[in-house]
Amino acid sequence: MPASPALLHDLRQRLSQIERGLGEAAFPPVPLCPALDRHLPEHGLARGALHDVLAADPGAALGFCAVVLGRLETPALWIAPEADAVWPAGLQSLGLCISQLILVRYRRPAEGLWAMEEALRSPGIGGAVLQTSHLDLIAARRLQLAAEATGNIGLLLRPATEVRNPSNAVTRWQAASLPNPQAAPHWQWNLLRSRGGQPTPWQVTCTPGGVLQAHAP
Amino acid sequence: MSRRYLALSLPWLPLDRLRRLDPSLVDRPLASWAIQGPRRQLVAADAPGLVPGQAVADAQAIQPDLVLFPADPAQDAALLERLALWTMRFTPLVAVDRTEGLLLDATGATALLGGEEQFVVAVTNRFRQDGFRLRAAMASIAGAAAALARESRQDRIIPPGQERDAIDPLPLIALRLPPDMIRSLGRMGLHRIGQLCRQPRGPLTRRFGRVLMDALDHATGDRPQPMQPVRPIATFQAARHCLEPIVTRPAIDQAVEALLTEICRALLEASRGARRLTLRAFRVDHHVQEITIGTGAPTRDAAHLVRLFAGKLDQLEPDLGFERLTMDAHSTDTLDGQQSSMARRDGASAADTAALTELLDRLEQRVAVYRMLPMESHWPEYAAAPATPYDRIVLPPNWGNETRPVRLLAEPLALAVTAELPDGTPVQLRYGSHLHRVLYCIGPERLEPEWWGHDAARPSRDYFRVQTAEGPRLWVCRLGEPNVLPPRWFLHGYLA
Repeated sequence: MPASPALLHDLRQRLSQIERGLGEAAFPPVPLCPALDRHLPEHGLARGALHDVLAADPGAALGFCAVVLGRLETPALWIAPEADAVWPAGLQSLGLCISQLILVRYRRPAEGLWAMEEALRSPGIGGAVLQTSHLDLIAARRLQLAAEATGNIGLLLRPATEVRNPSNAVTRWQAASLPNPQAAPHWQWNLLRSRGGQPTPWQVTCTPGGVLQAHAP
Repeated sequence: MSRRYLALSLPWLPLDRLRRLDPSLVDRPLASWAIQGPRRQLVAADAPGLVPGQAVADAQAIQPDLVLFPADPAQDAALLERLALWTMRFTPLVAVDRTEGLLLDATGATALLGGEEQFVVAVTNRFRQDGFRLRAAMASIAGAAAALARESRQDRIIPPGQERDAIDPLPLIALRLPPDMIRSLGRMGLHRIGQLCRQPRGPLTRRFGRVLMDALDHATGDRPQPMQPVRPIATFQAARHCLEPIVTRPAIDQAVEALLTEICRALLEASRGARRLTLRAFRVDHHVQEITIGTGAPTRDAAHLVRLFAGKLDQLEPDLGFERLTMDAHSTDTLDGQQSSMARRDGASAADTAALTELLDRLEQRVAVYRMLPMESHWPEYAAAPATPYDRIVLPPNWGNETRPVRLLAEPLALAVTAELPDGTPVQLRYGSHLHRVLYCIGPERLEPEWWGHDAARPSRDYFRVQTAEGPRLWVCRLGEPNVLPPRWFLHGYLA
């Protein structure tokens, strides 16, 4: 008998509950757009988890993180080593409001990881982005545990050269720009890895306000 | 009850400082000198026959084996302030008195050590054990105590009301008058404070001005001088005295937690929350270490404050151990039931807001935390400015509607651009080793500088949104400088 999607979904829910500890309610995922949500096993970007974003192109990767944080509708942290890592006037049109964004600048990589862990452990925010090129599996595991406790979403924004450096993130994306004669952002989001799902390349267009349209070529 | 002041006079402080640094100087004649006008004079001397103010050549003739050091008033002042801080372990109100004295407001503190005599002995013994020579005097008038400490042969305690009699026989130098004035007064037959007090005030004021009367009134208590403590006294204070000096981190943690619990209880009773807290650790060797934390919103949650201190306690150097720890809340705000300092959307619970404030407090101890405040300016880099994370953000209408980069470079990169026409759209961009071919180009968007601002004289800018064949979408700018050919181009940001 072929397994029905509903049955599979139910089983996945129960498994994830067992993994997290019994009796705890699962956090609702962050919706991206209908096509992408249907493809992802959690029906959206899972909360209480880490997601890896590899920047093939700086603008596209920042755009991905901004779109995700904008959908949380709670305060979010952007942790980066530079003061000019992100410009809020450009994020407004991607749906991330300047009033929800708190920026953190760190000097040493260890401080960045510490700040990210503190942020993920706090119930006061919904998610955080960490821009880093220094991440090992132990640090990623600590962040994962911190995110599981509160249901905060953690995005690890790393340079594309880190593709050989694995992490325990639930999904791994590579974001690049695609040529588009119109002004609207047009991206290639390569889903390189997805726990319980299929890796697929996606072409995504973002209209003003952060509404996404995606299709797999 | 009248106030009680303990004055300490440390005239040999510069020499004691040198001897503490180099113990081999202990039994040798020592002096420090400074250049006064054309000649080198002794500032402090510690050998028979030598007095401050003597010429260095004379001093060397009298004491051939004299060890001389140049005077360092800055170091002496720093040491005196450090000693003043350390003396706060006896009483919370301590002031530095000119360059060589300390003044303690001992009101109410003497009983803790068993009486005034025991208090004076306890303070002076601690100084003498560490190699500081001093004289002390306790009285109800700060000026009288200081004068007595300076000119008495031994430590004195003057009962309240007897200060005038006590300072009566003191020489005028005890008032720290300028040397010229003392000489002039001496020519008039006035050598002691008592003689001066019995003179009519009018002629004295006419002859010597206000300085003399001020000094006299401060000493007699007719017009007491206000104290300027080294650290302002905090409304909320807690202190722990350790029987044995504590050295280990767990012991320090425990003491800090106890102090914070005590402070928080006091804050709760007063309906206030702490904004700045200072931990002062008094080391056995006259050293005080201070650690200050600040919070973004008033708080009296001891567990939260313990976490804020936890990261900074590494800076403490216990060395031989701390004998006393104090906690001051020197800045507090009213804090009633709930706090609502953060601008939050409706529906966010107070618990979440409190959690966010706590998170920001923790982060601010180690990393820079800020928000970007939207500004009403069309000039790209002025559209937002950094602000504290607690600033309230009000979005100006239509802010952020223009297409702007998601990353704006703080320092734009100079580009080598090939254009079809000198003032046309770019075809090829190069910066460093990157070469980009232009696929599409939207623009120009011309921005003129704000004539009402500081940089009205800057050239206008033409911005292009460039889609490169390699992928990145760039925001490039051509400066509209007159008489510059070819025009200069810059990469100003990355578009989403």
